[in-house]
Amino acid sequence: SSMNEEFLKKWQMGLQIFSPSIDNTSVSERKRAIKLSADVAMASLRKGTTCWSRALIQKTATEDNFLVRQMLSGIKEEPLINKKLPKVMCHRKIVRRSKKILMRRKSRSAMEEVAAKKLVKKKTQGLRNVVPGGEFMSSNVLLIQETLDYIISLQTQVNVMKSIVDAAEAGIER
Amino acid sequence: MSNRRSRQSSNATRISDDQMIDLVSKLRQFLPEIRERRRSDKVSASKVLQETCNYIRKLHREVDNLSDRLSLLLDSVDEDSQEAAVIRNLLM
Repeated sequence: SSMNEEFLKKWQMGLQIFSPSIDNTSVSERKRAIKLSADVAMASLRKGTTCWSRALIQKTATEDNFLVRQMLSGIKEEPLINKKLPKVMCHRKIVRRSKKILMRRKSRSAMEEVAAKKLVKKKTQGLRNVVPGGEFMSSNVLLIQETLDYIISLQTQVNVMKSIVDAAEAGIER
Repeated sequence: MSNRRSRQSSNATRISDDQMIDLVSKLRQFLPEIRERRRSDKVSASKVLQETCNYIRKLHREVDNLSDRLSLLLDSVDEDSQEAAVIRNLLM
């Protein structure tokens, strides 16, 4: 698929940027470069159109600014490195007030509904913790959309990396 | 039953049933346990969200593991060997 090919190309580019120093680096530094360039490659496939990809690029830039700049130079995503994502204000007073109103009704089904809501909220918070930029996704609809796109991108990343590693290991065993 | 309420309220913390059903149908391809259930409306929202979380974490672990293996591969080959050439052709 073209998504796999594009990811591979960008990932290769990232590794090429790193390769001159590959002899002098430790295994853990190499792993870091492999992983960071894979993440930037994955995020850049989205060309800045999703929240998770912008957040991931920013996060990777804080870990290795040079690598990210090199990988994105000449592409539209470069300005994204410095772009600030808006932080969402949580209107605690409003949330507290609506909770009070809800709790006044003592019927069992209402209590169950409140419990169910709490559980969903807890689980969506869990999702926000694993999706990059989750903390900036104010609506649950956005969170779900971003999650689906993020999963597809992760699968691409895993599939391509797996093919490469399997091929390399097979080539070496011969 | 709760559909009318979810459509009227703009409360940001609530996922409507329609959106949940849509999410479940899309996640079905990814999550084998949910795929086995015939009726999508019976799957609870929290279960889907939990499974999604678990799946994403699993993918993260896979990427980490693959990065480990690759960095070890690069480490274990002699610079001038044929193996090094194999890797270089694949990656660089």
